[in-house]
Amino acid sequence: MSSPQANAAPIYGYLAEFDDKDALFACAKAARARGLTEIEAYTPTPLHGLPEILGYKNYVPHMVFMGGLIGVLTGFGLCYWVSVLEYPLNIGGKPFNSWQAFVVPTFETMILFASLTAVFGMIILNGLPQPYHPVFNVEKFARCSSDRFFFIVLSRDPKFDLNETRRFLAEQKALSVDEVPH
Amino acid sequence: MTSTSTALETLGPRGARWSQLALGVGVLGAALAAFLGSQFHDGFARFQHAWLLACVFWLTLSLGALFFVVLQHLVRAGWSVVVRRVAELVAANVVVAAVLIAPLVVWAAMGHGSLWSWADPESLRASPLLQGKAAWLDGRFFAIRCVVYFGIWIGLSRWLLRHSVEQDSAPDAKPTLALELRAAPAMVVYALSVNFAAFDLLMSLSPTWYSTIFGVYVFAGSVMSFFAAAVLIVSFLQGRGLLARAVTVEHYHDLGKFLFAFVFFWGYIAFSQFMLIWYADLPEETEWFHVRLAGSWKLVSAVLLFGHFILPFAGLLSRHVKRRVGFLSLWAVWLLVMHAVDLAWIVLPPASHGHGAESHAGGAIGLVDVACLVAVGGVWTFALVRSAANRSLVPVGDPRLPESLAFENL
Amino acid sequence: MGSAHGPISVGSAGTQSRGEVWTRPVLVDGDQSLGAVTRRVCDVVEAPKPPRAWYIAITISASLTLMLFGMVVYLIATGVGVWGNTNPVFWGWDIVNFVFWVGIAHAGTLISAILFLLRQKWRTSVNRAAEAMTLFAVCCAGMYPAIHVGRIWVAYWLFPLPNQMQMWPNFRSPLLWDVFAVSTYATVSLLFWYMGLVPDLATLRDRAVTPLRRRLYGFFALGWRGSARHWQRFERAYLILAALATPLVLSVHSVVSFDFAVSQVPGWHTTIFPPYFVAGAIFSGFAMVVTIMVPARELFGLRDLVTMKHLENMNKVILATGSMVGLAYATEFFIAWYGGNAFERFTFLNRALGPYAWAYWIMIFCNVVAPQFFWSKSIRTNPWLMVGVCILVNVGMWFERFVIVVTSLSRDYLPSAWGYFKPTPIDICTFIGTLGLFFTLFLLFCRYLPMVAIAEVKTVLPDAHAHDEHGHAGGAAHGRSPEVQHV
Repeated sequence: MSSPQANAAPIYGYLAEFDDKDALFACAKAARARGLTEIEAYTPTPLHGLPEILGYKNYVPHMVFMGGLIGVLTGFGLCYWVSVLEYPLNIGGKPFNSWQAFVVPTFETMILFASLTAVFGMIILNGLPQPYHPVFNVEKFARCSSDRFFFIVLSRDPKFDLNETRRFLAEQKALSVDEVPH
Repeated sequence: MTSTSTALETLGPRGARWSQLALGVGVLGAALAAFLGSQFHDGFARFQHAWLLACVFWLTLSLGALFFVVLQHLVRAGWSVVVRRVAELVAANVVVAAVLIAPLVVWAAMGHGSLWSWADPESLRASPLLQGKAAWLDGRFFAIRCVVYFGIWIGLSRWLLRHSVEQDSAPDAKPTLALELRAAPAMVVYALSVNFAAFDLLMSLSPTWYSTIFGVYVFAGSVMSFFAAAVLIVSFLQGRGLLARAVTVEHYHDLGKFLFAFVFFWGYIAFSQFMLIWYADLPEETEWFHVRLAGSWKLVSAVLLFGHFILPFAGLLSRHVKRRVGFLSLWAVWLLVMHAVDLAWIVLPPASHGHGAESHAGGAIGLVDVACLVAVGGVWTFALVRSAANRSLVPVGDPRLPESLAFENL
Repeated sequence: MGSAHGPISVGSAGTQSRGEVWTRPVLVDGDQSLGAVTRRVCDVVEAPKPPRAWYIAITISASLTLMLFGMVVYLIATGVGVWGNTNPVFWGWDIVNFVFWVGIAHAGTLISAILFLLRQKWRTSVNRAAEAMTLFAVCCAGMYPAIHVGRIWVAYWLFPLPNQMQMWPNFRSPLLWDVFAVSTYATVSLLFWYMGLVPDLATLRDRAVTPLRRRLYGFFALGWRGSARHWQRFERAYLILAALATPLVLSVHSVVSFDFAVSQVPGWHTTIFPPYFVAGAIFSGFAMVVTIMVPARELFGLRDLVTMKHLENMNKVILATGSMVGLAYATEFFIAWYGGNAFERFTFLNRALGPYAWAYWIMIFCNVVAPQFFWSKSIRTNPWLMVGVCILVNVGMWFERFVIVVTSLSRDYLPSAWGYFKPTPIDICTFIGTLGLFFTLFLLFCRYLPMVAIAEVKTVLPDAHAHDEHGHAGGAAHGRSPEVQHV
C-alpha cells in the first residue's frame, strides 16, 4: 500500500476531516459520483450504509462457513479415529462408534474453528497487524478514534489530481483538508 | 407524509369463501377419518390416537402463537407489531382444539383406557408402578386439570386479543401498557400450564415413562411450528394483496431467524433428552425410545433427526434464504410436516404398542392420521378465518406500529 | 423522515393519539457527544491514580489470591487428601466450585452474544465488563479440573495429545466433553472480548501521552484505524461470533450438566438438567454482574453510561431466569414422585428433610424466593437492595451445586455406605482464594482497560442515528427527547 505506484504522486493522498457524519456521507456519495475509486472513510464507530456507498464486498461469512465445516470433520474424525480405529476400548458396553457421544466434541470443534476463522479472518482481511500506515502521519487523525470522521482520496486513484481533488474535498464541508505524506 | 396507509385491512367477503372451503375440507376429512377408523378391528382406539395427534398438532400452533404474543409484550418488542395480530388470532383459536379434544378427555374421565391406558382403573390396579401415581393419573382429576389448562389458554389468548382489538377503533396507548405490565405473570402461568399439559396429554400416553425435559421438548416444537405457520399465513395473505404494505422482507427475515433458532432449540432439547436416556440406559426410561427405534419407527426417528434438525438447520443458515419468501415458505411447509411427524412419533407408538405385540410396531403413520389432521385443520382454519373476518389484520392502533413498519435488520 | 423508510409511509398525522411515536429510552445519560463518551471511559484508565477504595480492594483481593496460590502449592505438594473429598463423596467442593464459576461466566456471553442478536442495545454499556468477568470466572473455574487431578504434571492427559504410552482419552466420557467445551468457551470468550477491545485500544493509543502507553496499547490495537472497510468486516465478524457464541453458551453448561446427568446417580440423572443448568448459569452470572457493576460504576464515575435502566434490565433477567430455575426445581420434584423410582423419591425427600436440609432451604430461599423481590420496581431500582438480592442469588447458586453434588453422593443406594461430607479448611480457603483471584483480575481490568465498550456505546447515542439516510432501524426507534413516553 505504501509503495508508490506508476502514477507516483508526491503524496499518499488527501485527507478531509469532518465533525459530522452527514457531511461524511455526502462526501462519500459525491466522490463515488465523480468516479473516484481509491477512497476510504475513517470513523470512530461503525456507520451503517457507508460500506455500501463505498462499494465494498465482504468475504468473512464464506470463510467462517468453511471453518465450521472443517471443524465438524476434524472433531468427528478425531473421535472416530481414536475410539474406533486407534484405541478401541469397551467402556460401559457402549459401541465403539458412539456417535451420540461424539456429537458434543464435534459441536465444540465446529464452534472453535468457526470462531477462530471469524476473528482471524477479519484481522487478516483487514491487513492487520499493520505497524505503519501513512494516515497516522497527519496529527489530527488521532481524533478519528474519538469523535472525528475522515475521508481520504488516495493519490493512486486514476482520477486523482493534486489541485482538482483538493478543491473537491474542500467543497465538502470539511473542517480541513490535509496532505498525507507517504 | 401520508396518513397511515395500513388502515383496517380486513379479509372482507373473501373470508366467507375461504371459511366455507375450509369447513368443507374439514368435513370431508372427518368423513374419511371415520371411514378409515371403522376399517380396523381396533379402529376406535386407533382413531382416538389419530384424533389426539390432530388436535395436538393444531393446538401447538396456538400455543406457540400464545407464547409469541406474550413474549412480544413482555420484552416490549417493536419489530413484530405488524405480524402480531395474526399471532393473536392463531392463539385465540385455541378454543377449537379445546372443543375437539374434549370428547377424548371426557371418554378418559369415564374410565375408558383406549387412549390413555391408565384411565382404565383395571390397568391401573394391575401395575404396582402405576398404583404409586394413581393420585395423579386419575380420570376426574385429569379432566379438571385439562379444564384448567385450556381455561388458562383460552382466557389468556382472548384477553390479549381483546385489548389489542380495542386499539383498532380507538387508538390508545393504555391497553398496550396494561398488556406489557401483565405479560410477566402471564408468562409464568403459560410456562406452568404448558409444562404440565405436555406431561398430561402426551407423556402419560406411556404412563410408566417419564422425562423431566418433556414439557420443554413439546414447547420447543410448538413455538417452531408457530413460526413456520406465521410465515405461511403472512405470505398467503400477501399473495392475496393483504398486508402488502405492512409486512416487508425484514419481518420475514426475523420470522426466519426465529424459525431457525427454534429448529436449533428443538434439536438441542431432543438431543439432550435422547442422549441422556441412551447414556444412562435405565430400563424404565429406555422403553420409550426402544419402541421408537424399532420397526418402521426407526425410520421415522431418522427422518426426524435429518428432517426436523440437520437439513433445516443447514437450509436456514444463510440470510439469503431467510430473506426470500419463496424459499422460506418452502422450509416452513417442510417444518410443519416435520412437526406433525414429531407429534405422530410421540402419540402413535403407544397405539400399536398397547396391543402387546412388539412386531405390531409396524403400524406407523397411516392415512387415518392424515385424514384426522385434515379434519381438525379444516375446522381450525374455518374458525380462524371466521374470527379474523371483520378484524383488522394489523393492530393499527398500536403505538409501536410505526417502529414495526420502519423496521430494518442490520 | 418516514418517507425514506421503504414502501410504507408512517403517518404521524393520523388520529391524535396514533400520532405519538413511542420513543425508545435514551440509553446514555449526561453529555451525549462522541467526545464526551470517549473521555468518560478513558478518564478512568488515564487518571494518574485510581480512587483510594481501589487500593483497599485490591490489597484485600490480592492477599486472598496469594492465599489461593499457597493452598494450591500445598495441595500439589501433599495430595488431594487435604480436601474433604472422601468416601462416599469423592466429588466435593472442587466440582461445586468449578460449576459455580463456569455458571458465573455465562452472563458475559449472554450479554455480548444473545442480547446482541436480540438487538438489545442497552447491552453496550455493560458487555465489556461482563465479558471480562466471563474470562476471569473461566480462569477460576478452569483451575479446578487442573488441580483436582492431583498429579498436576500429567494434566495434559486430559487432552487428546499423542504420548509415549500411545494412550488416548475416552471420547464417550462427559469429562472429556467438558475439556472440549470449557477450553472452546475460554478461547471464544477471549476472542470475543479481545476483538471488541481492538477499536477501543486504538482510542487509548491515540490519546496516549507517554510513549510506553502508546507502544503497549498500540501493540494490542494491531494498527486499527477505523476505516469503513475495517468496520464492515469487524461488524460482520462480530455478528457471526455472536451467532456462534449463542449455541456455544447453551452447550457449555449443558455439557457441565451432562457430567452429572449421564450417570445413574439418583438426583443427577434427569433429562431437564441441560436447559435448567443453562438458566441457572445465566441467573448466577447476571447476579454477579450486578454485584460488581454497582460498586464499579459508583467508584469510577460511570453512572451516566451504566444507568439505572441497565441495572433494572439485568434485574429483570435475573427474575426471569430465577423463575425458570424455580420451575425446573418443581418439575424435578414432581417427576421424582411421578416417575415412581424409589431411589429418586428418596433423594428428593432427603434433600428437603435429610441432613443437608439446611443447604436445601438456603438454596430454595436464595434462588426461588429472593429474586421474587424484583417484581417490585422500587427494589430492582435501588442499588443497594439489588446488590443484596444478587449476593443472595450468588450464595443460593453455590448451594444449588452443593446440594446436587453432595446430597446425591452422600446417600445413594446403599445405606451402609452413607456418609456426611465435611469440607476442610483447605477447601474453604481455596474457594475464598478464587474469589480473591476473580476480584483481583477484575480490579486490574477496571484500571487498565476501557470498562465500557467505547465504540459500541457510540452506536446507541441518539446522534448516531439522527442523520441516517439509509433507512436503518434507528430512525423511528431512537428519539432524542429525554422525556420518553415509556421505558
